[in-house]
Amino acid sequence: MQGAATADARHELALEKKRKLDQSFLKKGLMIALYSGITYGLYSAFIMAAQTQGVWADWMGTLEASSFLVVFILPTIATALNDLFSAVWALLLTAKQGKLGDFIQTFRSKPGIIMVAAALVGGPIAGAAYVIALSMAGPIVTPIAALCPAIGAILSRFLFKQPMGPRVILGILICVFASGMIGFTGLTGALGPGVVPGLLLAFIAALGWGIEGCIGGFGTSMIDPQIGITIRQVTSGSVNLIIILPLLTLFGGGDLAITYQCVGQAFADIPSVFFFVASGFFAYTSFSNWYRGNSMCGTALGMACNGTYSFFVPLCSWIIIGLIMGIEGFALPAIAWIAALVMVAGITVIAVNPLDFLKKKGE
Amino acid sequence: MSRPLNYAMLKYFTTVDEACVDDVMEALKGEYASRRAFTRDEMTSALMTAEKNGLIEESRIDLDSHDDLLVYYRATEEQKQSINSYIK
Repeated sequence: MQGAATADARHELALEKKRKLDQSFLKKGLMIALYSGITYGLYSAFIMAAQTQGVWADWMGTLEASSFLVVFILPTIATALNDLFSAVWALLLTAKQGKLGDFIQTFRSKPGIIMVAAALVGGPIAGAAYVIALSMAGPIVTPIAALCPAIGAILSRFLFKQPMGPRVILGILICVFASGMIGFTGLTGALGPGVVPGLLLAFIAALGWGIEGCIGGFGTSMIDPQIGITIRQVTSGSVNLIIILPLLTLFGGGDLAITYQCVGQAFADIPSVFFFVASGFFAYTSFSNWYRGNSMCGTALGMACNGTYSFFVPLCSWIIIGLIMGIEGFALPAIAWIAALVMVAGITVIAVNPLDFLKKKGE
Repeated sequence: MSRPLNYAMLKYFTTVDEACVDDVMEALKGEYASRRAFTRDEMTSALMTAEKNGLIEESRIDLDSHDDLLVYYRATEEQKQSINSYIK
């Protein structure tokens, strides 16, 4: 009898410890996913700040604002520069952790190739689609692009059988609505000339980021997150520079020599390069934590937490570019704070099952 | 050159009925003990992530002689096939 009682007590203790382990794992995943949203804000602020410095300021001051070079080529060069510096950070830290051998081996494996595909879809393809969508249709595309958490969650439901009940769907919709609240503040009533194709491209961008979040998260369940992000940034940086940039130039009837002359000038421009080094570091941090958060919390919750970047991008831009650098035009609209609270509510709805609380109280 | 540690951990589950993190560490220490990620915390986290993503499943829990928690995982036939299809 006493032996059975002791066995029961030990089983109860084991259950209690397991519950605590699961809770701490979920909390850690939530923190990691939220941190990815904050660092996305920092990465975006530094990449925007870089384009106010040195040769970038000259270009913005002298070139026609609606010219092909300004609308398509310069943003792609900025993205390529950011991703390349980000890849350098990732490679250095991978080497410091003694994982370069694993990186090369993983690159050649099936999960590594899947990660490359996710990086291509979410990096150069979705990134270029978003840049073009913005220039064609204006800021109205921002809320469309904010659909990516919902798309990622739906894909994970079908591809990886991740749970998605009515509560999770409601939480995702709340988060998408909150991102839309911030995105719509950019609307001035002046829509760009290509609204319909622009919206379609914005949806392609959302689809690309949704696929990346879903596949990247799953990939990180097999691949060390440090190696996963190194694959992502090396792929994205080199493809942007070697494939997307010349393709965009040729499709737009531009001059390859001028494009790569700009690349050379941007690389040699010390004042802005400092900012790209910083943006690259935060991009590395943001994307690695995004993948890791998705793999720990599930895509729905991970992407909803990462989606707080809709708030952190304007917040970090206001602090770094507006307050610290003293450049006007980055004031944070009041609605962003309200949207942040709505986002917290949405994340809570996804993360916390009220029935669990009731069960615990009843125990 | 040996496989990346995460791959080796998953592959191990295709060769045993069930294992906890200590079993995995014991089995892999010959090749991987010098790796920076070869710690109980990191490997526990990797196993929980694999479980969360359906690559392995939890089989049972227990306590060791110091009352530390032991979580045992296993790979079903379908999961073994999945692991083997991703990792050669």
